[in-house]
Order: sequence, then C-alpha cells, then structure tokens
Amino acid sequence: MAQSERQFLEIVDLKKSFGEGEARQDVLRGVDFTVEKGEVCVLLGPSGSGKSTLLNIIGGIDKQDSGYVAINGDKLEDMDEKQLTAYRRLHLGYVFQMYNLIPNLNVKENIEVGAYLSAQPLNVEEVLTTLGLQDHKYKYPNQLSGGQQQRVSIGRAVVKNPDILMCDEPTGALDYQTSKEILALIEDCNRKYGTTVIIVTHNEAISKMADHVIRLRDGVVRHNIINEAKMPASDLEW
Amino acid sequence: MKNPLMKRIPKELASDWHKYLVIIVFMVVMIGVISGMYVGHDSMLEAIAAGREALRIEDGSFELSKKASSELLAAIESGQRADVRQYFIDEGLREADEEVAEAIEKELDETVRNRIERAVREQCRAYGITDENLITSRIEAAIEANYDDAIAQTRESEEYRKAADAAYEKAHEAVVEAVDEKWDEISDEYDLNDAFEAVPVTVWENFYRNESEDNNNDGEEDATIRLFRSDSPVNKASFLEGRAPENPGEIAIDRMHADNVGVAVGDTITVGGRPFEIVGLLSYVNYLTLHESNTDLMFDAFGFDVGMVTPEAFSVLPSRLHYNYAWFYAERPADKVSMADNAEYFLKALITQTLVNDSEIESFVPEYLRQASNFAPSDIDSDTAGTAIMCYILIAVIAFVFAITISNTIEKEANVIGTLRASGYTKRELVVHYMTMPVIVTLIGAVVGNALGYTAFRKVALDLYYNSYSMPACEPTFSREGFLKTTVIPLALMFLINLFVILKRLQLSPLRFLRRDLRKTRRSKARRLPAWSFLRRFRLRVILQNVSNYAVLIFGVIFIELMLCFAFGLPDSLTHYSKKAPDMMFAEYQYMLMGSKDEEGERITTSEPTAERFSSTSLKYAKKHNALFEGMGSGGDETVTVYGILDESAYIALPDALKTGEVFISTAFRNKFGLKEGDEILLHEEYANKSYTFTVRGVTEYDGGIAVFMKNDSFNEIFDRDEDAFNGFLSRKKLTDVEEKNIAVVITQKDITKVTNQLMHSMGQFFWIFKIAMVVLSAALIYLLAKIIIERNEQPISMAKILGFQNGEIASLYILPTAIVVTVFALISFVMGYFLMIWIFKVFMMQMDGYFAFYMTPASMVLSVVYLLVGYAFVSVIDFVRIKRIPMDEALKNIDV
Repeated sequence: MAQSERQFLEIVDLKKSFGEGEARQDVLRGVDFTVEKGEVCVLLGPSGSGKSTLLNIIGGIDKQDSGYVAINGDKLEDMDEKQLTAYRRLHLGYVFQMYNLIPNLNVKENIEVGAYLSAQPLNVEEVLTTLGLQDHKYKYPNQLSGGQQQRVSIGRAVVKNPDILMCDEPTGALDYQTSKEILALIEDCNRKYGTTVIIVTHNEAISKMADHVIRLRDGVVRHNIINEAKMPASDLEW
Repeated sequence: MKNPLMKRIPKELASDWHKYLVIIVFMVVMIGVISGMYVGHDSMLEAIAAGREALRIEDGSFELSKKASSELLAAIESGQRADVRQYFIDEGLREADEEVAEAIEKELDETVRNRIERAVREQCRAYGITDENLITSRIEAAIEANYDDAIAQTRESEEYRKAADAAYEKAHEAVVEAVDEKWDEISDEYDLNDAFEAVPVTVWENFYRNESEDNNNDGEEDATIRLFRSDSPVNKASFLEGRAPENPGEIAIDRMHADNVGVAVGDTITVGGRPFEIVGLLSYVNYLTLHESNTDLMFDAFGFDVGMVTPEAFSVLPSRLHYNYAWFYAERPADKVSMADNAEYFLKALITQTLVNDSEIESFVPEYLRQASNFAPSDIDSDTAGTAIMCYILIAVIAFVFAITISNTIEKEANVIGTLRASGYTKRELVVHYMTMPVIVTLIGAVVGNALGYTAFRKVALDLYYNSYSMPACEPTFSREGFLKTTVIPLALMFLINLFVILKRLQLSPLRFLRRDLRKTRRSKARRLPAWSFLRRFRLRVILQNVSNYAVLIFGVIFIELMLCFAFGLPDSLTHYSKKAPDMMFAEYQYMLMGSKDEEGERITTSEPTAERFSSTSLKYAKKHNALFEGMGSGGDETVTVYGILDESAYIALPDALKTGEVFISTAFRNKFGLKEGDEILLHEEYANKSYTFTVRGVTEYDGGIAVFMKNDSFNEIFDRDEDAFNGFLSRKKLTDVEEKNIAVVITQKDITKVTNQLMHSMGQFFWIFKIAMVVLSAALIYLLAKIIIERNEQPISMAKILGFQNGEIASLYILPTAIVVTVFALISFVMGYFLMIWIFKVFMMQMDGYFAFYMTPASMVLSVVYLLVGYAFVSVIDFVRIKRIPMDEALKNIDV
C-alpha cells in the first residue's frame, strides 16, 4: 500500500480554544496524527479532553484556530462553506450519542435520508438486513428502543457508503449488551464496506476493537498506538 | 432519487391536520372570497361590455323639445355644424323682406289712392263740381272701379320696380351688416371659433314616458317608472326572469326595483293609471343604477324604475312623451379622451343644427358620463381593490403564523437539522424542505379557493352586486387579474415571508444546531424579573419566551380590530350621517333652476315668502394642492359647489364685510383639506381654461358637501353674469308656482339620506357577515398562535403535572398570559384601529368627491372589543382541553437539552 493512500486522513498541529481572556480554555493544544484508509480508529479520553471538538473539526462542522486537517491531501481549511458541505456529503457519515432521527419518518425513510445524499448509496434493503431492522422498517422512531434507534442512525450514516464513519459516543446512551451489538455493527460495516471508522469514546474497553488508538488528555495526544491485538466487538467486556 | 424529507410533508399534514385545516380553510375562504370578487367583477364587467354591444347601447342620448323632422335628423347625423351665419342672415332677410314688402304695399296703396283722387278732383274741377261730398263719393267710386287696375299698372312700371329693388337691397345690406356686427357675440355663444371636427353619427328614436307607478294598487304613487317601447331597436334590455311584454296589458320592469319594492313576475301593478301584469324582470345596461337624472346625487332603486311596454300600450299612456334620441358614432372612439372630444364636437353640431331647425335641446348625456351606466362598474372596481388589500394583509398574517410554526419546528428539530447538516445536507435543501409546507398549503388554498371563487363565492359576489345594482345576467369568465392576485401574490407573500424567516433561522452552523444553541445573541444571565409572586413571574416568563408569537398575535389583533372598527363604524357613520342630514341642508328645499329666466325670457319668480334667490356653479379644486395627502388619492380634482348668497340671507349668514374674492368654505371642505382662515384656494373650470383664486375668510357650518360661499353680487361679477342673475331658490316650503321645466333639480333631505339608505340597503347584510367572519378569523388566529405556545411547553406542562400541579393551575400559567396579552392589545388595538379608520376614511375620501367623517357609537366601540374576546373565549376552552390532554410521560421522553 502506497504511503499517500495509507495516510488517508492527516491531522497536523491542530489547536483550538474557546472563550477569551481569563475564561479562555485551550481544548486542543497541537494534535498530530494520521488515520489510514479502512482502519478503525478510537479517540479515547475523559470528558473535556477535546475529543468531540477534534471529531467536529475533522467533520468540517467546527474550525480549528491553527494547524490543519487533510483528507486525501485536501486541506479542509482551504474549503469554503459550500465545499465543506460537499465534503461531508461525499465523504462522511455521522453517528451521534443521541440518534437524532426524524420523528415522523419511519425506519426505512430515515435511512433513505442518508441514501439521498450519495451518488452511489448502498442498497437500503441490504443495510436494513445488515442492521437487523427488516422487521422494524415501517416503525417510527418513537416505537423503537434506544439500541434500535442507534441502529437506524448507523444505517443512515453507512448507507451513504461514506469514506469515513464518524461516531461520537455511539454507545453513550445504551446499555452494555446493546452497546456491544452496536459496536459489532460498526465493525461489520468497516469490514464489509471498507469504511474508515473514527469512534470518539471515553470507554477504555472500546479501544480494544480498534486498529488504531489515540488517547487524548488536556488537548494533546498522550498515546498514539497501533493495536496489534485487535478484538472482535462481541468479545469486549466492561 | 426524490428527497426523502419530502415524505414528511403528507405525514406532517396528517398528524397536525386540525392546525392545517384551520389554515387551509382560512386561506380557501380568503382566496375564495377575493377570487370570487374578481371573477364576479370580471364576469360582470364582461357581461356589461358584451351587453353594450349585443343590446346596442347608445354612445349617448339627447332629448329635444319636439319631435325632430327628418331634415333635422339627417343634419344631426352628418355631424356637421350648421351654417349659423347663413341662418342668422336668412332669418334676418326673411324678417327684412316681410318688413320691406309691407312698407312697399303701404306706399303703393297710398300712391294709387292719391293718383285716383287727383284725377277725379281734376275732372270735377273741369265740370265745375264743387260739392265736396259729391267729390268724395266720386273719388270712392273711382277707387272702387280702378284700384286693382291702377295697382297692377303701377307694379308694372319701371319706377316701381326700381324703388322696390332699391328698398330690398338696402334692407338686405343692413341685415348682413347687422349679423356681421354681432358675429363675435354669436361665435362666442355657440363656440364657433373653437376647434371642431365633424363626428358623423346615426340617430335612433328612443322615446320614453315617465309614468307614475303604484306597486300595491292602492291609488298612491310609489315610484316613477321610465317606460320605453318593447320594440326599441336600440338600448335593449337583458332579461333576468320572464320575457318582454307581448300584449298591451303586460309590462317588464327593472329586477332590482322589483326586489326592493317586493313585486315579482305575475304580479299586477298600476302604471299611468292602468293595470299591467309583470311578465319580465330586466336590466337596462344603461340603467345599472337607477339614477333618474344624471345630476342626481345618488341612485334610488325604490323611488325610480325603468321598464318596457308594447308599442300599443306606450302610445296610449297619459304622460308627456320625451323625445329622446340615442346616437351612435360612425367610428367608435377608442379611449376616454377621444370620447370626450367626440362628445364635445357632437354637442356643438347638435346645438347649431337644432338652432337652425327651430328645435331645442332638453338634455344631452354622452354615455361615458352617464351616472346610471358608470357608477356601478367604478364602484365594483373599488370594492374589489379593497378586498384584495384585506386579503393580502390576512395572508401576510398567516404567513407569519407559518413562519413562527416553522421557526418553532426548527427549534424542536435542532438536533436533527444539525445531524443532517453534518451529514452533508445543504442549507438550500433544508430551506426548500421547510418552505414546502407553506407553499403547498398556499397552493391548496389557491386551487380550492379559486375553484370556489369560480363557483360558490362568485355567486356570493354576484349576489352582492345584484343586491346593489341592476346588473344583467352574466357567465363566469377567467380573470387574469384575479389569478394574479389570488394565486401569484399570496404564493409570493407566503414564499418571501417564510423564506426570510427560515433563512434567518438556518443561518447557524451545524454544530450550533447539534448543541441546540440557537440564540443569535447569548444572554449571559437570565433576565431579572421584579419581585412578584412566583405565579406572576412564571406567567411573565411565558410571555417573554413567546415574544415573537405574541408579536404576530398583536399584529393580527390590530388588523382584526381595524376590520371590526370598519364593520361597526361604517353602518354607524351612515346612520350618523342620515341623522345629521337635517343639519346638512341650508333649507328644506333647494331648487336648482335651468336659469334665472324662463323660455319666454321672463324672470322666474315665486310667491313663496320663504323663498330666497341664490346662485351656484361647479368648479374644481386640485387635490394635489394638499401636501399631507400628496401622492395619495386620485390626484384628480374635487368638485366644489360655489354658492352666491344674497345679503342678509335667512339661510346662510355671511359677514357684510366679505369682499369680492373672499369666501367662506363649508366645514366639509375645511376638514377634508385641512384649510384655515387666510388660506388661498385655487379653483378652476372643468372644461375651460379658466381659474379663480379665493381667500378663505371663514367657515360655514355645512357637512353636506365641499362648498364655497360668497356674496351673490361677487358671484355675478366673478362669473360674468348679469347683475341680478341667479339660478336657484332656497325655501322652507315646496314651491308650487315654479314650472317643472324650469327646475333642473330639487334637493331635499331625502336626497341626502337617499345615499346612506341605499348604502345601508346594499351593504347591511354584508356588514353582519363581515362581523361574524372577523370573530371567526380572530379565533382562528389566536387558536394557531396559542397552539404553538402550548406545544412549545408540552414538556414543562407535563412536568408540572408530575409535580402535582392541577390542570386549572397549569391553565392559569399558560392560558392567562395569552388572555392578558389578547385583552390588553384588543383595547390598545381598538384605539389604534379607531384612529387608523379615521385616517383611512380621510385618505379614501381623497379619492372620492365629497366628505364623510368616520363615526362609531360608544356601544359599537365596546362591541368591537367584545366580539374579539368572544372569539378568544372559544380558543381558551380548546387550549384548556389541550393542556388537559398532555400526558405525564411527555416529560419523561428522552430529550437532549
């Protein structure tokens, strides 16, 4: 694999602060790392470590103060609002802790909301089957459990066939068993569609399913580890 | 792939159907009404236009004092001016010839008699006869025997012929000289030096009789009916029911009049003392409003009627035959300017032709100036424009209601919007998505509203017209203007207002949406409230939270109050005007005469002791002279009646010191144009290039019209009339000794109240419907906005229930703030609406002639607020039920705040 292809996502000396004067808080203080195409990368850290901010900057929905993010060599900072939207549309899929489904669209339609954005979307029925949502496809979000809603949210993200799947605390609102199922689904998507996955979590255990673990604390990368002993999500324990 | 977000639209419609139903019904009714008005308006105007062609409506008519000879008709039809000079010369020659012939005969007689006498006396002298008696008898015998021969002999003599020719020639020369000497005077009198073009016309007899009409056959006259022949080839009628009369005992009368006086086809009425069976109800397109005379202030569909009978019946009716002739231009004028030019030229031709043909013009009315033809179409135009403006205001209110609803939805769906934007949905896609619903609802409103506009509401509009005017039957027609105003403009309004609000709302970054951080400016601290009780502070918080909702609500309340002020105030103003009518008369009777002298040139007099002479004329006041309303109103001219009043008048007091050029103005004139003492007013003639400047010296208490008063002497001096000229009488009693033909019009109190009575009759029902519509409208608007407030607070309300608050307590927290806002603003809006109405009335009056102040009774003032609150009371009941129905688990739903 060529170097440029391997260094799919580059994060270089990223700095970001909020507030001014005494209230100023440096959230990211020079973050550097790269993510290779097709890998599962877990950004680990306690609350306030800057991991969500980092994810938002990578997603093009927040802006860094300095440094840059480049995907396939294209720097996000050079893009205007329109290009950033196109970048998200073409390359990214988002999964949030809260599922943010559209309440008056059913399961299938919520997934179609993602498919609509892509020039080459995955087959919606196939995604429904993969996610175990075939029996629920005509249900509304409020008729589903939290885990099922998160499956729909993953479906909406992966159906786009994105280059990167961004997951912000995807299991934060779920119980242990459901969390494992959701992580297994994310893992499946990575394997099946070759999607690069970035998971933001404070759950140490989730790092075991990653190819690449980046540990953040106080706005800097404390550890940047390639996980040689990757575990299947179903075997995770916490 | 179709945007899957669109699938939300039908679901949204279904899930919140009651809200959308209210909005759609509202839009349908509004658009339906305005569409109906336009379709009705266009259908009616088209029917009138088509009727003018099909029913051969004249280009104008004139009445002559006697039936026109065929020579006169041919001369009139030529459109040429008669040779007035030749006429006066011919007339002069005829008179001169008569005089000369008489003088010659006299001279001849004397000469012959003298010659015979001389011969007899010579003969007697020769015979020595001296007895004078004998001589005289011989002379008489000789004259008897020889007179005729002698006359004949003298006539044949050269000397006689020469003398006669010389006399005639001298007389003829004198006539031509006299005509030429007076030519300037004659030219001025008949406008012979003005520009002129011959306007050829065809002229048709359109004779009529004004008969008495007794609707209930009780022997009392109820109305005057103008009857035409049923076989008239011009100015034919359109039948709304029944048919034209075929037998002498049958009659067809005006539909509107029949409705008003309560007679129908099959009934028998007495006309001209004879019974007639009504076989048809008709509309004459040149009598759309029943104006008896073109100078009438208002039409009178109760006291005046038009109709037709068979030629047989027409010939035996008792009253005077009016020799009315309809004319048609050989070449139809294309616009109003050429209509005016044609009418002017034709009048000049008519005046000269009737002069040279020994006839007189009784009346002359070009069709474009005929009140009875033109009053209704122009009134319909202004009604439609007014309704359209009302419709736009309401649609703007609905658009804001929508915008607030959407704004609320955006707030509610902030996370979803954030996720969609983070996933790559563009702002445009989301704007389009949120714009879809208002556009669809407006489209539904426009489509259904227009469908109703072409059917049910068109009928409503037409009924309104049929209730006011004598309209012909009409067919629905496509109204382009209606389509623009009922579809394009509402859509544009809805689109732009929502686009503006949605764009503003969606301007935030995806991250702000994800964080639900939607406030543009972040308040660092919560707003401090006064140290009130908890419940009062809570209510104030609810008001502060919903400021934008309340802003739209207040706007709506102001609008509704304005409309209620209109609905209550207009009938009040009309009634008030009627009640004030006695004060608006200078005298019980105001007689406008045809001139100060009758046909014989005798001064018109009356023995009535209360009668007082006055003069009057009509001038124009340019409305643009008033700075406050510059650019508003028609920009045209106001008709001002100028009165010349006698010194020490018993009716209108003017100070003795009033000089020529100084005037008093009526209160209506002062109020309409804000004039004051010392101001100069410039009045001008309507048709001549002549203007007059007057200085206002005071105000005469008179609300009946826009008028200027001056001394009669000044009047005659300024308008170049004879020293003691006048053209009217003011009188406390009816004048019985002034001939009808000398009277142009009599104005009594009835004529002033006729206007308001007719308006009340035409619009009474409309006002009632309008008030109910306003109550429903206010209820609908408050319903929509109150719903948003409660929906926004569903979770806190649910939480309050969990905490143990009772429904009544919760209602007092969430309903009372709205009640307070509605009540306070209903009162404030009433005051605003009332003053706004006064202003609107004033502006509206600038577009009309005359003045009419807005007035509301105290009872109406109270009711206009009560009506709105009644609407609100219904809504608060619904709100209470809505609060009661909010489940407790609403608060337990997983929310990310």
